[in-house]
Amino acid sequence: MNKLKLNHTLLSFLPILVCIPLGYQLITNIHFGGFKLFQEFLISAFNPKIDNEIIITVINRLNETILIGFFSWLVSIIFGVIFGILTSNIFYKIFNIPNFFNNIIRVFLTIIRSIHEVVWGILLMQIYGINFSIGIIAICIPYIALNSKVFAEQLENIDYKSFESIKQINAPKISSLLTLIWNPIINSFKNFGLYRLECSIRSTVILGLFGIGGIGTNIFLSFQTLNFRELWTYLWSLAILIILSRLIFKKIKFNNTNKVIFIFLIVVFFTTILFSFSYFLHFVFNNNLENFNSVSSLFKSSSDLRFLDFLKLILETIILSLLSTGIAISLPPLLIGFFNNNTSKILIKIFAFLLRLIPTPVILLTLLTFNNPSLSLAALTLGLHNAGITSKLLFTNLDSQDKRNYIAMKSLGISKKTSWILGLFSQQAKSYLAYCAYRSDIIIRETAIVGVIGSVGLGWQLQESLSSFAWQEVTIVLIAYSSIAIVGELINGKINNSLT
Amino acid sequence: MNNILLELKNISYKYKNNLILNKVNLKIKSGEKIALLGKSGSGKTTLISVLNGSIKPTEGEVKLFNKSFEELDRKQKRKITTIWQDLRLIEDLSAEQNVNCGLLAENNFYFAFKNLLNISSFKKAHKYMQLCKLHNSIYDKKINKLSGGQKQRVAIARSLIQGSNILLADEPFNNLDPKLITTIKNLLLENVDKNNTKSTKTTLVALHRLDLLNDFDKVIGIRDGKIFFNIKRTNLKKLHLDKIY
Repeated sequence: MNKLKLNHTLLSFLPILVCIPLGYQLITNIHFGGFKLFQEFLISAFNPKIDNEIIITVINRLNETILIGFFSWLVSIIFGVIFGILTSNIFYKIFNIPNFFNNIIRVFLTIIRSIHEVVWGILLMQIYGINFSIGIIAICIPYIALNSKVFAEQLENIDYKSFESIKQINAPKISSLLTLIWNPIINSFKNFGLYRLECSIRSTVILGLFGIGGIGTNIFLSFQTLNFRELWTYLWSLAILIILSRLIFKKIKFNNTNKVIFIFLIVVFFTTILFSFSYFLHFVFNNNLENFNSVSSLFKSSSDLRFLDFLKLILETIILSLLSTGIAISLPPLLIGFFNNNTSKILIKIFAFLLRLIPTPVILLTLLTFNNPSLSLAALTLGLHNAGITSKLLFTNLDSQDKRNYIAMKSLGISKKTSWILGLFSQQAKSYLAYCAYRSDIIIRETAIVGVIGSVGLGWQLQESLSSFAWQEVTIVLIAYSSIAIVGELINGKINNSLT
Repeated sequence: MNNILLELKNISYKYKNNLILNKVNLKIKSGEKIALLGKSGSGKTTLISVLNGSIKPTEGEVKLFNKSFEELDRKQKRKITTIWQDLRLIEDLSAEQNVNCGLLAENNFYFAFKNLLNISSFKKAHKYMQLCKLHNSIYDKKINKLSGGQKQRVAIARSLIQGSNILLADEPFNNLDPKLITTIKNLLLENVDKNNTKSTKTTLVALHRLDLLNDFDKVIGIRDGKIFFNIKRTNLKKLHLDKIY
């Protein structure tokens, strides 16, 4: 038993070996031209610009960000629930519908989930131009698919015996379905729904960097003009927004017996569905579709992309994902385990928060001030950002864990670090690795963002192809992206199953 | 007059190459109170599952009201209710919501919705919970907060509230103290319908305790998936029990 736990523990630390080739390339690519800029960037964090003009800009831009983030969250959660039900086995069992339809919807959702919201955003911008709705739609498309997967997984856990007992009562099918799915859906929403709002806001910021609007656009413009003090004003205001939203979420307690809240939520549910459909139709039919003609020439345009170059890009994307995943898995336990005291923990938490807060393109652009663009730099950026997320989970789990083993080991005279690894972390390692397997799915999708900025992999090729309206290339790149993400999801699903 | 409610003809059931039921023939008449005896693993639960239509036999024919299960409409299927050995309660719901689930069949979708929102009437559920000697302090408690005996009685209340004519119960006295066993046994065997008026109820109860047999009309003994005896309770002798235990 102990041996098995130790294996999971080792597996959590081993991926840090990716730092050897990565570190080598980073050191060889270092340049000193931008150190001063980097220094300025860091100092500005403690001296953000604060005046009336910027405060008004921050409020206006945050309003836009919140609006895009909130509406995309609301729509994606509601449609996520609907598609979650439609892709859960329980639905097909109750209504005696062949599972074939379930498989079709699942494949469709997996494909649209595999493409990052930034890619959807760039594509939609090419077709419809820049407008407020693009941000919402670009986030909603992959988020609906992502949320539906989470809800469907929760519904798969419904006890088969509960299903049998309800079936035996011979209730109307819709009553049976509602009775069985109600609480799993509510519980998923409580555990996961509000966190998704934070994700929506982050995605809105990233889309903003690509010109959709909101505070992301201002962050990008500040960076481009090297106005770091202004940049940090936007970043800190974003941090305040995220912290405030978390505090508000903590105060909100969903009580199953609070009828007024539930009736209100049901009204919101149906109103959002109606509004979304009508708005979607309005958006599709009232937009100038001139640019859409370029999409129709999808199969007419030729591709200059050579087969070997294309294979190289695919390989780069896969390596980028693997290196980033390695950092995201191993860095948090290494740092927490090595600097195992209260002050270090607080510093690591602040560092992790900043890594989550600062959008990956901005981290990458900052690192580019003293390092040449390379695959390693892109991997480091993506790895650090995701390490910020995995460390948050690890801290939360470690804080709530029974510490008796750790205390007992320390009392036996075993060193603090060894006690932490064997007495504390080893019990979390399995579930931590399971979460990291899920996280690596997201990392594959996120390679698109760093790829666009860092001139690496398919992300960069996508940007190039889109800029030159080479739609055939765009299609090929998207298919390749989808395929990598789907294969990755299948592999990670297997790993996850073996770990849980 | 043919008053046979349930009929099994040459029923066999195989699961992973194991023969769980072996050519079982059984007729259950209206109003009969039957005790089903047999060792653990003898096929009692499978027999009950075949009788209520939740599993399809590998061979043979099951008839309820002289019709196969496929021919029955929902109203006819509702005439049969089961208390499962593993209870099959919905863990996420409260005790009273679980009991109200027994009323889902006779109500529409809106009732299910109100039940989940806790805004439906629990009057009827409370009545049956009281009959099962459940204290009102546990009515709104989630199932996972209840003791084994309380869960058992919630499952019984859920079955009784359905007011079905045929009651199948798989070891319903588990987790109950002697006083409660008597109360619950009387509830299961009494001829009272959902409107609290006298009616005919057919009951088949799988049990282990021989001291509880005295209110039953018939006793069926099962071993290795075969019915060894199907006799009047008054004719039951040690010889019969030796065959199955």
